[in-house]
Amino acid sequence: MDEVANQVRLYLYRRFIEAGAPPSAGETAEALDLDPAAAEDAFRRLAEERVIVLEPGTLDVWMAAPLSARPTAFRVDAAERGRWWANCVWDGLGVLAMLDADGTVTTRCPDCDEDLGLAVKARRLAPTDTIGHFLVPAARWWENIGFT
Amino acid sequence: MQLFRDEEHLGRWLEGRDDGPGATLAPDQLWRLASAWYQDRLGPRWHRPSPEAAQGLFAAIGLTGDFWDLDPSGDSPGIIEGPTPEE
Repeated sequence: MDEVANQVRLYLYRRFIEAGAPPSAGETAEALDLDPAAAEDAFRRLAEERVIVLEPGTLDVWMAAPLSARPTAFRVDAAERGRWWANCVWDGLGVLAMLDADGTVTTRCPDCDEDLGLAVKARRLAPTDTIGHFLVPAARWWENIGFT
Repeated sequence: MQLFRDEEHLGRWLEGRDDGPGATLAPDQLWRLASAWYQDRLGPRWHRPSPEAAQGLFAAIGLTGDFWDLDPSGDSPGIIEGPTPEE
């Protein structure tokens, strides 16, 4: 990752966390005083390197793992820090780990559709009877990252 | 990756599918995986872990076996160029 792409990565994540939504390439260019084409190129390179995932056919950020710009079944609440959508339950806890924050991850059981929650207190996962489940083997996660 | 109320609920959900059984993670493994994978994501010099580093991270959490094999010669999570993700 070159220096411009790294600057764009850091800005993109900071704004995503602060605003609850990712910035556009244009907004990023303006904030970092970059040529718009340079910011757009950095978005493409970050996507190629799988740092972010773009909405198909656009430069709009879909995922900047562990965050999702689209509403998902996984909601993260870190109290005064903010609320975000995560890509999966791993990413939900990953948001709290990334922020070094306490908070909750809420979702629904795919079997019974009842609400489930995980809580992180004092940077530790509170006791829970729930279990995590991966359907797709690790080597195939990126064949369809949305499904994974 | 999804969260289930317990093993019974997961087993019932898998009965209706032909693409299982997948792999389960205990809560402690899930938290350790999330922490190890994301705790440095906002670092000024963060970069994707190599396939070997990622595999080692999985192994340290007890995630071993074919399901967790990243195939060091091929398409591991976010490291090697691959097809454009589809929804």
